[in-house]
Amino acid sequence: MKQVDCEFEAEVLAAVLQSCWPAQVDACLRTHVAACAICSDVVAIAGAIDGAREEMKASAVVPDSGRVWWRAQMCARREAAAAAGRPITAAQMIAFACAVGLLGACFGATSTWFQLALRKISSSVAGLKLQTLLPSTTALIAQHGMLALAAAAVVLLVPAAVYLAMLKD
Amino acid sequence: MFREATFTDVSRERALDDPAAGLVMDEETFRAFYERTARGLWAYLARVTGDHQLADDLLQETFYRFLRAAATHDSEQHRRNSLYRIATNLARDARRRSLVWGPSSVAGDDIERIPSGHDAGNAERTADFTRAMSHLKPRERAILWLAYAEGASHREIADVLGVRATSLKPMLFRARRKLAGLLGRTMGARS
Repeated sequence: MKQVDCEFEAEVLAAVLQSCWPAQVDACLRTHVAACAICSDVVAIAGAIDGAREEMKASAVVPDSGRVWWRAQMCARREAAAAAGRPITAAQMIAFACAVGLLGACFGATSTWFQLALRKISSSVAGLKLQTLLPSTTALIAQHGMLALAAAAVVLLVPAAVYLAMLKD
Repeated sequence: MFREATFTDVSRERALDDPAAGLVMDEETFRAFYERTARGLWAYLARVTGDHQLADDLLQETFYRFLRAAATHDSEQHRRNSLYRIATNLARDARRRSLVWGPSSVAGDDIERIPSGHDAGNAERTADFTRAMSHLKPRERAILWLAYAEGASHREIADVLGVRATSLKPMLFRARRKLAGLLGRTMGARS
């Protein structure tokens, strides 16, 4: 099995990070590093990473801790308010749906012209025959086939496009 | 490790902590924790994402999510691991959102941020390093940075990245090999 670590790795890393490599280290360790692929890789990258870390930390411009704390508090409050408001919104929607349903039921039960219209529609629907409808529908689709296809494509594609755009944002 | 603010060097930091800090993070505890970790975390995010602007945004988001999680931590090391895990996940999500995440787009950007007083040799070395890092995968960058810049142990890195500790050694080996090869090529080309 291929060796992926070396027992001297930590020692070599320490020497590099303490700027002792290669002058101030034991000759045995230098000989080992020359022969060990793992330790020579550590020598090659550790100094570079440590140098980059020091430079990046020195040049990093991070926001003030107070500002981050304040922003976190604001976000938490906003989220808490939104979470608290969610059941209220749901209850309002249910209440609105119930009210609309109740109004519709009252209207349907009391309005004679509505009941008449409903009866007329149901009788005409019952009188419809599929055999007579089918040829006219086929002719309509044949005449406006492209339009129907375009409409179907729009109906299917627009939600997909909106979803993708929102995903990108 | 012997450097300041590394994962494993926690005894000194623990002494600075409030005794109750592990249970509740009040403003004072947060401020102290932020001062200790923010710069290092920003450097990690900037390296992993390859984008300084994104690192700025993710830094604030990381601390916000860390506070919101309100998790209890039994040690500074545990707390720091949680913070870096959140940051790593956010960086991963940002990469997925951007859909295309090729090699880092900011090769050489580090030079602009180097404080004045740095010599040209340092600037060149940093540019070489940035270019080499930009050819690594984000996960490889994260592994190397956590191991050699933050001084994290294999178990800690595995915990932060959400991988098995046993898988980490070969991953670290491959990433190190790759970066050493890239750095060698860059230096060779220069000389």
